[in-house]
Amino acid sequence: MVDSADDGGSKGNARRQFLKAGLGAAGGALAVAGGARAAEPDPLITEVQDWTRYLGKGVDATPYGLPSQYESDVVRRSVPWLTADAKSSVNFTPLYALDGTITPSGLCFERHHGGVAVIDPADHRLMIHGMVERPLVFTLDDLKRFPRENHVYFLECAANSGMEWRGAQLNGCQFTHGMIHNLEYCGVPLRYLLEEAGVKPQAKWLLAEGGDASLMTRSIPMEKIMDDCLVAFKMNGEALRPEQGYPIRLVVPGWEGNMWIKWLRRLELGDRSWEQREETSKYTDLLADGVARRHTFVMDVKSVITNPSPQAPLTHGKGRTVLTGLAWSGHGRIAKVDVSIDGGRNWSEARLEGGSSKGAYRFYHDFDWDGAELFLQSRAIDEDGNVQPTKDRLRAERGENSIYHNNGIQTWHVRADGVTENVEVS
Amino acid sequence: MSRFPKSLIAVSLMGGMGLTAPSALAQDAANGETIFKRCAGCHTVGPNAQSRVGPHLNGIVERPAAAIEDFRYSRGMKKAADDGLVWTRDDLAEYLAAPRKKIKGTRMAFAGLRKESEIADIIAYLDRFGPDGAEKTSTAEEIAAANEPNPGMAGKEPAANDVKGDSKPATESSSAVAPAPKVEEADGAGESVDAAAETDDDRQVALAAAPPSGGPMNLGRPALPAEIAAWDIDVRPDGKGLPIGSGTVAEGEAIFDEKCASCHGAFGEGAGRWPMLAGGQGTLKDERPVKTIGSYWPYLSTVYDYVHRAMPFGSSRSLGEDETYALVAYILYLNDLVDDDFELSNENFTGIEMPNADGFKPDDRQSEPQNTSDAAAEVCMTDCKESPAEITMRARVLDVTPDTADDDGDENLGAGAID
Repeated sequence: MVDSADDGGSKGNARRQFLKAGLGAAGGALAVAGGARAAEPDPLITEVQDWTRYLGKGVDATPYGLPSQYESDVVRRSVPWLTADAKSSVNFTPLYALDGTITPSGLCFERHHGGVAVIDPADHRLMIHGMVERPLVFTLDDLKRFPRENHVYFLECAANSGMEWRGAQLNGCQFTHGMIHNLEYCGVPLRYLLEEAGVKPQAKWLLAEGGDASLMTRSIPMEKIMDDCLVAFKMNGEALRPEQGYPIRLVVPGWEGNMWIKWLRRLELGDRSWEQREETSKYTDLLADGVARRHTFVMDVKSVITNPSPQAPLTHGKGRTVLTGLAWSGHGRIAKVDVSIDGGRNWSEARLEGGSSKGAYRFYHDFDWDGAELFLQSRAIDEDGNVQPTKDRLRAERGENSIYHNNGIQTWHVRADGVTENVEVS
Repeated sequence: MSRFPKSLIAVSLMGGMGLTAPSALAQDAANGETIFKRCAGCHTVGPNAQSRVGPHLNGIVERPAAAIEDFRYSRGMKKAADDGLVWTRDDLAEYLAAPRKKIKGTRMAFAGLRKESEIADIIAYLDRFGPDGAEKTSTAEEIAAANEPNPGMAGKEPAANDVKGDSKPATESSSAVAPAPKVEEADGAGESVDAAAETDDDRQVALAAAPPSGGPMNLGRPALPAEIAAWDIDVRPDGKGLPIGSGTVAEGEAIFDEKCASCHGAFGEGAGRWPMLAGGQGTLKDERPVKTIGSYWPYLSTVYDYVHRAMPFGSSRSLGEDETYALVAYILYLNDLVDDDFELSNENFTGIEMPNADGFKPDDRQSEPQNTSDAAAEVCMTDCKESPAEITMRARVLDVTPDTADDDGDENLGAGAID
């Protein structure tokens, strides 16, 4: 892209043009790629550029560092028609622009039910009561005196891919799969706090409540609580972002994101589930026979190819290319990821990188593109042997009205000109 | 234990003083602020105000009608603007008393305020904010009132000092930092007491006086009964947590029309993407099921809990317990589940069974083929389909992706809304 230096200001339109592009624009992209073999010397090399001549900004120009100005297109985006009001809404992580496994803190998707609570940590309290020997109140300073642990976990909204149940609808993995992030959390195992309060033997469930304007609540069974839940105060090494629950949030590894209560302020122990709004009218999965599954907590094994994808088309023309994506399972580790470039007729095993139990894995498939159209799919299998199903199989099992827990295999259609689209195939 | 009860009493008194001993003028705007919570589901005012369901109200006094450029006003409101309406205090008073009478065809679903004093108070409150949302400079009277020894609007300041004076001696030497407890909903009316005026010194009070938790690591401190009562508002299907109280369908209708109908529709049918509350029974097997409280929600306790916890949107916990009973009764009525003379109370609450109570089953996803033990072993790697892949569906047909659809922001686009 010879003119990229002049192009910074119109960068925001670039993606739009790609998405809208027909043959013409993509053909142009191919021509530029061919420019690598140009006979004329590249002036970017032969001429002295400004940034090699003049001094740049000094230290402290940006006390809290920000991404390059050329990355301004890499942002969370929402789908305005999804919800009635931005204060009870969702936006999506730009997966197409990320690599590795850790999601940058400022790009983690947001889901709020009453807007972002702004809480001075000195004013925050966490209460434990109900079926305990000693009802207790903790300050943030108290919590930081418990032994802490660090773990990488994915958080996926149960409604991730929920708009795709009836068929391909949104053009971009940001929108079809972007209600997920994967972070390193630092926090206190929840069981330490409960042991401090002394759990009575009759206690079987815990109600977790957030301190936002929705006072979000979810019931969580005791086995999970005592297993691996954390009360986290750091993400990726720094304080939680306000939109992720500052100063503290609940971490419920492998389970649906709605249960990871943000702005956590109250934990009540009891002998049965509370059947709150978010575990009855929402986050229940209506099946074709009119009966709904409830308490569907675990996020099933799933994967998605993030490049190429509709927002990241194949612009370089045929030849060597990198296919990559993310895989995860709420049951534990990913055993393998298979990739197909012909719509699921033939598969080959992808190369896995990173990853941890209930954390996201990065996969790669490096190949020579012959320039013909591609139907890209990925299929993850976890250590328990759960296999990511096709969307058709899920629909056959459940109908089209479940909204939640759509872990079906995604297909991207890459045309010969590189433009990539969300499709379903026979 | 000793410091906590004292602090609590002091803080409670502070709240009481703020409500009972203000000067007349200061009381107006302060009371108006409380009344404004009924409007806050749709309207905002102040430095961060934005138009939502209704336009923002910065500088509304003496503002021309239909003046917010990016807000979609009703045809009636636009006509009033064309006719030259500027919102004087008198015009606002007429509009707030009977919105649809003053502006025929207004979209504002609010039924109107009956008490003239409330109307005057809310206008006094709104008049505090200039066009940019900043508070106007106080009037001479207000400044005088604020300087009164037993003040009104500024009442929180000296009251907080009372708290400080009460509890400071025990804590001077402490270096630990922990704020004294706030009392939420101390009087059960949902009005939280603002203890933000406390100083750091006050914060040190609490922890120094707090007894240890008595747990294995001796961290945290005992939760007081009043603190637990303030936060423990959850209600379970077995009735645990239900407060004593009652409300009728008729009472619920009046509250619903005033506080709920602007989003949920006069009959619970839902406006735009706002949730539908009534109807839909018998549709759960349909191609497009209609999931409402009547058709889908398994427990009535969930309705009480959620309304009391999080509604009205933008004014959470402003509803009293009897008001909540009345609203739940009215929602039952909208769903044809009770008659119009019904009264719901903690006595008869758990006797009401919701139509879809048996419509749920436990998570059995592990019995699906892709999750059975031999699924992974049977995975196909080559020649898995007889013929080449053909496209059966494409997102481009719907074209509802943001930035690509030509009509950005059209709320009628797409299917499968999340709520």
